[in-house]
Amino acid sequence: MPLLDIRNLTIELDTPHGRVKALDKVSLTINPAEIHGLVGESGSGRSLLARAILGIPGHNWTIKADRMLWDGHNLLEMSSKQRRNLMGSDIAMIFQDPSSSLDPVIRVGTQLVEAMPENKKLPFWRRNADKKKTARKWLHKVGIKDTQKIMSSYAWELSEGECQKVMIAMAIANQPRLLIADEPTNSMEMDTQAQIFRLLTKLNQLQDLSILLISHELETLSIWCDRLSVMYCGQIMESGPTAEILAHPYHPYTKALLNNIPHHTGQIAHKSIMRTLPGSAPTLQHLPIGCRLGPRCPRAEKKCVIRPNLSHKKNRYFACHFPYQEETCNDDTSASS
Amino acid sequence: MPQIKIYQEDEIPSPMRRFWHAFLDNPFAFAGLWTVICFLLLALFGPLIAPYAPEQQDPHALLLAPSWDASGTVEHFLGTDDLGRDIFSRLLHGAHLTFGLALGIVLASLVLGFIIGSISGMMKGLKSSILSHLLDALLSIPSLLMAILVVAVMGPGLENVFWAVGIALTPQFVRAIHQAIHEELQKEYVTAARLDGANQFQIFWYVIMPNIWDTLIIQTTLGISAAILDIAALGFLNLGAQAPSPEWGAMVSQGMDNLLTAPWTVTIPGIAILCCVLSINLVGDGLRSALSPLNN
Amino acid sequence: MARYLLRRMNLFVATSLVLLAVLFIATHHFPVEIRFALTGIHAPTVEQIAQIDRDYRLESNQLGQFIGYLQQRVTGNLGVSATSQQPVIDELAAVLPASFELAIVAAVLALLFGIPLGILASMSKNKITQHTIMTITLTGYSIPVFWLGLTLSLWFGVQLGWLPISGQLNLLYEIDPITGFVLIDTLLSDSPYADSAFIDALQHIILPAVTLAVLPFTVVVRSTRSAIISIMDKTYIKAAEARGLHTSHIVLRHALPNALIPVLKSLGLMLGTFASYAMIVEVIFSWPGVGAWLVSGIYQRDYTVIQGGVLAVALIIIFLSIMIEVLHTAINPLSRKELYAAN
Repeated sequence: MPLLDIRNLTIELDTPHGRVKALDKVSLTINPAEIHGLVGESGSGRSLLARAILGIPGHNWTIKADRMLWDGHNLLEMSSKQRRNLMGSDIAMIFQDPSSSLDPVIRVGTQLVEAMPENKKLPFWRRNADKKKTARKWLHKVGIKDTQKIMSSYAWELSEGECQKVMIAMAIANQPRLLIADEPTNSMEMDTQAQIFRLLTKLNQLQDLSILLISHELETLSIWCDRLSVMYCGQIMESGPTAEILAHPYHPYTKALLNNIPHHTGQIAHKSIMRTLPGSAPTLQHLPIGCRLGPRCPRAEKKCVIRPNLSHKKNRYFACHFPYQEETCNDDTSASS
Repeated sequence: MPQIKIYQEDEIPSPMRRFWHAFLDNPFAFAGLWTVICFLLLALFGPLIAPYAPEQQDPHALLLAPSWDASGTVEHFLGTDDLGRDIFSRLLHGAHLTFGLALGIVLASLVLGFIIGSISGMMKGLKSSILSHLLDALLSIPSLLMAILVVAVMGPGLENVFWAVGIALTPQFVRAIHQAIHEELQKEYVTAARLDGANQFQIFWYVIMPNIWDTLIIQTTLGISAAILDIAALGFLNLGAQAPSPEWGAMVSQGMDNLLTAPWTVTIPGIAILCCVLSINLVGDGLRSALSPLNN
Repeated sequence: MARYLLRRMNLFVATSLVLLAVLFIATHHFPVEIRFALTGIHAPTVEQIAQIDRDYRLESNQLGQFIGYLQQRVTGNLGVSATSQQPVIDELAAVLPASFELAIVAAVLALLFGIPLGILASMSKNKITQHTIMTITLTGYSIPVFWLGLTLSLWFGVQLGWLPISGQLNLLYEIDPITGFVLIDTLLSDSPYADSAFIDALQHIILPAVTLAVLPFTVVVRSTRSAIISIMDKTYIKAAEARGLHTSHIVLRHALPNALIPVLKSLGLMLGTFASYAMIVEVIFSWPGVGAWLVSGIYQRDYTVIQGGVLAVALIIIFLSIMIEVLHTAINPLSRKELYAAN
């Protein structure tokens, strides 16, 4: 049974320009103990999806979904208090910009201790000391050696990498089953990025932690993830095991993304044009109807003004009327598995 | 070539329009704007529509209650004071003094403050820091103390209120503009303009000025309401407008003797001040909240 | 940190010098004879004139005179009051505690009610409620304080007769001043009526303190509200929510400490207006503080009292605003970051 199963999640935002479908029938399945990558440009609604899973909606959101199952429990029917509890115990999230995710006027250690689970067996006067001990233990686990120094400093005294490690320590201290990482390595140096990713994979392997890794870099995600979902403008374009997607992308957008990755082989001719899709991603108030890639898609035809359903083929899903594969074209069958 | 409309609705309102819509969105601010306009008209034309002269005494109608009271008459709409002067007429004449004088003071000190503030804001180093220390010292003297000093030197009177309140207000304007310019100067786009070869004046006028309008507007509304309160307070303490004058604060102080027998002689001018200041503050608050999303 | 404190001290001294210079210039423009304006002695004898000339260096040039003036004022010689012929500094010492008492009570009232109300206002999602709260606080901000004081004393003092409307304490009670704060003195006093005197003092302070508290209260409500609203949008609040913390916990532990920093700043900016208002309130309620003393000084053209009062009040305000800035730096780790960056 999948850990998280979302079918046709639609989020509408009330903007000054009227109601806008920011997420359009997004489906996402995360299995236990897998690293699931979510690729998409900024503004494609990745963070909205993450916040909707977590249950911290903005004030102008309207969320609809056919199904949102967390480990067999319906998330849509839960009260906000139950969602809060779930957030604290089973789902955790780390954000981009870790240094601003820590309260600037409180020491890091205090915040860390605050996030630690309470050991109910101990008498209450010893709980705080115990929490401190656990906090130190978790800091060690995420690879921070000088725990005392980190805990007694303020967020702005630490580097981005250290802050992100602290955030990860806070997130996994409650031993959640799913960690949502929203661009965890944004604006970090390459070696810090690698450290963070290595830490996340290690946690995934040792603690059976499922991770939803959100990023705009297909290249990075393809290294670390078991499965990938590709998003464009609030629609899921393609989803499936990483290796297969890399080998045979079905969707024009995935193929375009793969083509965009520069191959550092030096075989590109001097002054040759880099291959990209024409045009740019539409803004929220100017979304095209049907398949939102339509106006930019190299294979678009008249039919593309009708939104393609998510088609299913073996363990891969894609939403396109004209996928890159000649033999079968079962795009009219519904995606239900 | 006419622009082809690709999308059904692609009009993005200009900042000015957005600002105006945000302002209209707040009904209180809009009501405040109308009230301010009314007060402005009264300050200009009030003396023309006043039924009586401000100092005309009616010995047959001393301490007459307002017209809605059983003992009041409609000839004296808001009643009369202990000398039989019509409060309504005095209020209209007083609008000219209190509100009009406040506008004049703010305008004068705004111009002066703007000039000093922009010069000091564009300066760097020792000169700028000396100037800002000097302003800090002037700012730390409360406006009422400043007024007391001015009155001590020049004697009480409405003309001296102009100087007293003006001297108290100018440092605030200078400082606000100085700080706004300093903050803008730190930003990258100013550096970019400087790298493009803009000289000091061009940077000030074309680069920084469009970005400090909002500070200027907000400071002006704050200044007007502070000026009205200060003028009225000075009038109340008998340090500003003197006894027969229909200045609103002075009217409150003149009515104090009859506070127990004729409370309306105090209440009505007080409400006039309150309405005036409140409407200006409402407009200022509306402007501020309408401007803030534009800045982010 | 030491360097920072030194710089603030420096600022205090520089600002006070400017203030004294302003006073010095004003003194020379008072429409009376300069010796009288400086000392307040009515008909000085020949020796006294010689003494004044020596003290204030009236023979030398402007700069020399200013230095003489500085020497006298800094050593605490503020002259004598023209009306009572008592040293101004003694009179000042007698009236300052009353003013402090009133200001402290008003400030405590404002903070005690303002901060919780500001938090509640920021929590409200309803647009109408928000506009209403803002308009009510704005009304409080716009009320002319003298009118508010009169109206309150008319209602609660005269028509309802609940509260006394003038003075600090009923004249029947004789309480020896120990600290100068009547509320504390009545508690410390060993007179048999100490308890009822305390209640009487409490009743006396209610109306003036409430009148004076209205302005800081509205400022606190508005600035708390806007600070909390802007902080609730920050990532660290979202992160705290994502950790499953309670909303009340987030507001009290994370949003409030961050919000108090801008509130403190707006309180510092308000000091001058607050002092002006306090003076008016003292006049209305015949509160025996600096304000009433100063205003009666100007009615009697008592120039030494005017100088002394202006000097004292302005110095207190400069000192407090610098203290608030230091406090701001001390409790705000972010501004310490800027300090590190600057040094």
